Amino acid sequence: MNKLMATFIQDNLEEIISRWQELMKDDSEERFFQIMSQDVIDKTSREFAELMISNLYEGETNYENRLKDFTNKVVRFGWSISFVMKAITHFTTVVYTMLEENGTIREENMKEYVMTFAAWITPMRDGIVETYAKTWERTVQLQKIALQELSASLIPVFDKISVMPLVGTIDTERAKLIMENLLEGVVKHRAEVVLLDITGVPVVDTMVAHHIIQAADAVRLVGAKCMLVGIRPEIAQTIVTLGINLKDFTTTSTLQRGVEQALAWTNRQIVEVEED
Amino acid sequence: MNLRIPILKLKDVLIVSIQWELDDQTALQFQEDLLTKMHETSARGVVIDLTPIDFIDSFIAKVLGDVIAMSGLMGAKVVITGIQPAVAITLIELGIRLEDVMTALDLENGLEKLQQELEA
Amino acid sequence: MGYQSSVEILTEWDIVAARQLGRNEAKEVGFGTVDQARITTAISELARNIYLYAGKGKIEIERITEGGLFGIIIIASDEGPGIPDVRKVMEDGFSTSGGLGAGMPGVKRLMDDFKVETVLGEGTVIKATKWIR
Repeated sequence: MNKLMATFIQDNLEEIISRWQELMKDDSEERFFQIMSQDVIDKTSREFAELMISNLYEGETNYENRLKDFTNKVVRFGWSISFVMKAITHFTTVVYTMLEENGTIREENMKEYVMTFAAWITPMRDGIVETYAKTWERTVQLQKIALQELSASLIPVFDKISVMPLVGTIDTERAKLIMENLLEGVVKHRAEVVLLDITGVPVVDTMVAHHIIQAADAVRLVGAKCMLVGIRPEIAQTIVTLGINLKDFTTTSTLQRGVEQALAWTNRQIVEVEED
Repeated sequence: MNLRIPILKLKDVLIVSIQWELDDQTALQFQEDLLTKMHETSARGVVIDLTPIDFIDSFIAKVLGDVIAMSGLMGAKVVITGIQPAVAITLIELGIRLEDVMTALDLENGLEKLQQELEA
Repeated sequence: MGYQSSVEILTEWDIVAARQLGRNEAKEVGFGTVDQARITTAISELARNIYLYAGKGKIEIERITEGGLFGIIIIASDEGPGIPDVRKVMEDGFSTSGGLGAGMPGVKRLMDDFKVETVLGEGTVIKATKWIR
């Protein structure tokens, strides 16, 4: 029966594809059919149809591999998962309707055909959902790693002085990571003063301040001093308005003044060299 | 079973390097030994190096805090050195800030810091 | 569910044994150094609570997995007097032993999940979980 259906689809491919495209255009909000040229649409449609047919030979060996191949290719079309699902639904609807129209599917063998269709479609849907989920998981994982890399690195600027620029929103998870990187960095670079630059932190609320205070405390425990720099006017306002106590802290508005202070703490200063 | 922590004297400074995990008894014994030694030698400063220690719980933190306060009463300054990042983080999360404790990255820095404090 | 090991807490020395077990488990499961220190410290605090308040009890360490995550759960159980006011014990700075009072809320901060079940006169079970990030 599978073979029969495959042959049928092959023989009526043009008709099926044009009907399928009609349905997709009516139904879909996907921009694919609106933006792409008719050539590309036809080519992709044909490819999709071939893939659909290739999955009909269920009993044969390599079915698993072919299914994997199918889902990978479909995912590579760049369609959204709902679009792919719609595509499959419409494709099978068209095939089913046409088989009904030409009298292949009748009252007495309907149940059998329904079963065949289910056996055709279900593994495809499962496979596609799984592949999409895996792709997303991987993407999320990669983004997480990218974010971590971006997160916080301690940069040694002078002997005994390091700077850690903080960029972006700080949540509890990131705060922990920042603290770890900060302390590991202090020990590794043998920094005696670290400047936490919060120029790139959009909002400093009570929680963020709490994390910063904790980080500074931990820095003190490993044997270094921590300074908070890059305090913009609006940050200063929120800190005071929220009643956050940063009195035990050395804070400055710019990194430049922070560095000067840090040099002073380590008994050094920058002097201009006179040339003549 | 009770190993005592060795306390070394260098001029007017005592140097302690804690090399293994402290159990309660050893910690308390150390507290007593250090104060006795301080009295005997009339040392003006102490450096306690914790580099090999991979965790400090609230009990050991309290013993350390107490030692520092007691030393202060006896007129000696204490610098703690070599607290590992992991240890610092757990202490902070536990809520132990060890606020008035002088710290340094390592023994060398600690001795330097102590010298500065004693000269000041 | 998974691998499990335990230490009876009867003497001060058992506190050391419990945290050594915890440190090894944390290392084997694959926690980083900071998390190893967190877990070891949490076990030390919980074991000391048993020793101080219940006299005897048990620390169990179990490896767990859920939704692709791996972690360990510390179960501290005793048949001591129970905790009369759990909320108060969970407040920062509260301590009845004259310690730093960091105990319970501190352990909660060190771990990802923290549950206390206590019945007066019957005992206490504390479960603290940590996942590998």
